[in-house]
Amino acid sequence: MASIKEIRTHIKSVEQTLKITNAMFLISSSNLQKARKQLSDVEPYFQKIGTTISDILHHSPEINHVFFDKRPHIPAEKRKIGYIVITGDKGLAGAYNHNILKLAEEKLRQSANTSLFVVGQVGRSYFMEHGIPIDVEFLYTAQNPNVGRARDMSETMLELFRREQLDEVYVIFTRMVNSFQMEPTIHKLLPLDPDAFPQEEETSSYNRDVAYVPSVKAVMDRLVPGYVKGDLFGALVQSYCSEQNARMTAMKSSSDNARAMLQTLNLSYNRARQTAITQEITEVVGGAQAAQ
Amino acid sequence: MAEANTFYLEIITPERQFYIGPAQALIFPAVDGQMGVYAGHAPTVTAIEPGELRYKVDGVWEPAAVGAGFAEIKPDYVILLVGFAEHPEEIDRKRAEAAKLRAEERLRQKQSIQEYYHSKAALARAMARLKTRR
Repeated sequence: MASIKEIRTHIKSVEQTLKITNAMFLISSSNLQKARKQLSDVEPYFQKIGTTISDILHHSPEINHVFFDKRPHIPAEKRKIGYIVITGDKGLAGAYNHNILKLAEEKLRQSANTSLFVVGQVGRSYFMEHGIPIDVEFLYTAQNPNVGRARDMSETMLELFRREQLDEVYVIFTRMVNSFQMEPTIHKLLPLDPDAFPQEEETSSYNRDVAYVPSVKAVMDRLVPGYVKGDLFGALVQSYCSEQNARMTAMKSSSDNARAMLQTLNLSYNRARQTAITQEITEVVGGAQAAQ
Repeated sequence: MAEANTFYLEIITPERQFYIGPAQALIFPAVDGQMGVYAGHAPTVTAIEPGELRYKVDGVWEPAAVGAGFAEIKPDYVILLVGFAEHPEEIDRKRAEAAKLRAEERLRQKQSIQEYYHSKAALARAMARLKTRR
């Protein structure tokens, strides 16, 4: 059996870890509440923008616009594909970062010409460590997503797409299915693909006679950046929410584990102490008997 | 629809659902000027500029400041997806004025074309708020 002193240091260290994990649990649960609210606020916009775009696309004749150009003349192996990978800024969030990085690596293996745009410090240092080049000027944090950041990101992406430095843009993020289930998801951002939007069962009768004021190009020039911005913002919010949720779950279970550990440690500490006392008494009694 | 001359109006921003419900008329700032919508409007898709928006509910015109976005118009249904939407009483006049000054100040300085667009957009947002607040 370990000595009393050893057990005592062990108990102390576990207690300190427990303090940290418990504090992180409390912080992430309060962050999660904020993130949840933001998610429920942004969700209608996110969904509406998707259905509206889909509605517009299915009601319009052929749209010849730069953001819809799939560039079919470029062969698959030469296509320059950009991936926006949204990770957390910190670790200690269970499998959250691991899952998203695994999906990103899998996608990276599939094509030759890829560029990586990483949101969040964990992903950045991971790719740097593994010698995978990432865009170093794409510096955005995953904390507290806001519309301004989504706008800056979407402007960068649209610019690269327009200059043909990227032929396809995807965003890899964690979707929050419900509070127990989060799944890493990949979502195509550019070019817009009318077929990618689900065709809804049409209830209205006004098909194919939508007017664009002042012109298709002028509307799409505004509509598409708005859509990409909204999409990215949604992805950021979903990821942030998932991260907080993952961290909360991870910290809760580690706090529970620490408590269970403390209990067994306390038990063995008490036992060791009792043994020591018993031994001392035996020695005293033995000594007294010997002196008689 | 309960009445023939009303349509269903949705004004949605990333932060909240600003207004969802019936309306009799709507005037919003489009790219090339103000655009008015009544029930039975031809199906149209158009872009929205930052500015002042007004919608008529039960005979009363409700003003609001809106940011850039787009609108999908159908005969009985109008949806506006905009960057922000605020009631006049929610707008902080001092803040909007400060934002306007800041944007004007930035526009005077040399900056990249992207920064220039950002400053211009910020100025347009501030002007939209000030116009609605008056």
